Amino acid sequence: MGFGGRRVVARKGAFLLRLPEGERELLLQLLGELRTLLKLGPDNPRLRRLYPAAYSDDEEKEAEYRMLTHEELSSGRLAALDTVEQTIAADRLTPDELTAWMHAVNALRLVLGTMLDVTEDDPFAVDPEDPNAREYMLYGYLGLLLEEIVQAQMD
Amino acid sequence: MPTAVPTEVEVPAGETGTVQDRPWIVIVWNDPINLMSYVVLVFQKLFGYNRAKATELMLDVHHKGRAVVSNGTREKAEMDVFRLHEHGLWATMQQD
Repeated sequence: MGFGGRRVVARKGAFLLRLPEGERELLLQLLGELRTLLKLGPDNPRLRRLYPAAYSDDEEKEAEYRMLTHEELSSGRLAALDTVEQTIAADRLTPDELTAWMHAVNALRLVLGTMLDVTEDDPFAVDPEDPNAREYMLYGYLGLLLEEIVQAQMD
Repeated sequence: MPTAVPTEVEVPAGETGTVQDRPWIVIVWNDPINLMSYVVLVFQKLFGYNRAKATELMLDVHHKGRAVVSNGTREKAEMDVFRLHEHGLWATMQQD
């Protein structure tokens, strides 16, 4: 079928997006939650992986870096969310739009991964009895989606 | 074409070398969240490295826990760190 069941495929300088309706609804919901979180500001512990320190051993320079960059990092992420929400039903994305999707999905994974405190050794299979089973499954799904977004750009 | 990342930078001895002259290095640290393929794509996109070089750096991060991905003046290093942070990578900078 040429599409190989993939969700994202490079085609003539753009990207075809074949996401089932249910996945689009799920993403929209998750991105809404991320937007609410982002508005809490860079100092919120759940967002710490989105705002790493640049200077780990120099408090003065680090404070300056935070002042210079945090607003821009935050507004950039909100702009990416805007783009994804505007194109949530699209069948075709421009390269810039796909980049926004990539940033948004990666930000979601960073927040979820931080919350779950994932390690590289975490098993792929999710224990359904785990109280965080839903989050682990979402984390796994977002990883697959991100992988497809990345691969489409490397083709 | 970006220059290769030096493993060692010679610091001039005596009064010819000041702290300000020493280049800054940008370090990306291993983290369990970012996908390996994603990290390769980000290195290619931000630094213009080819696939082989970007993959080599990503594997260094993955296996050794960290890799120096760029270097230069403090301003350049800070811009590189900022762009890596925009992409959600765990990057820091320090004077070599």
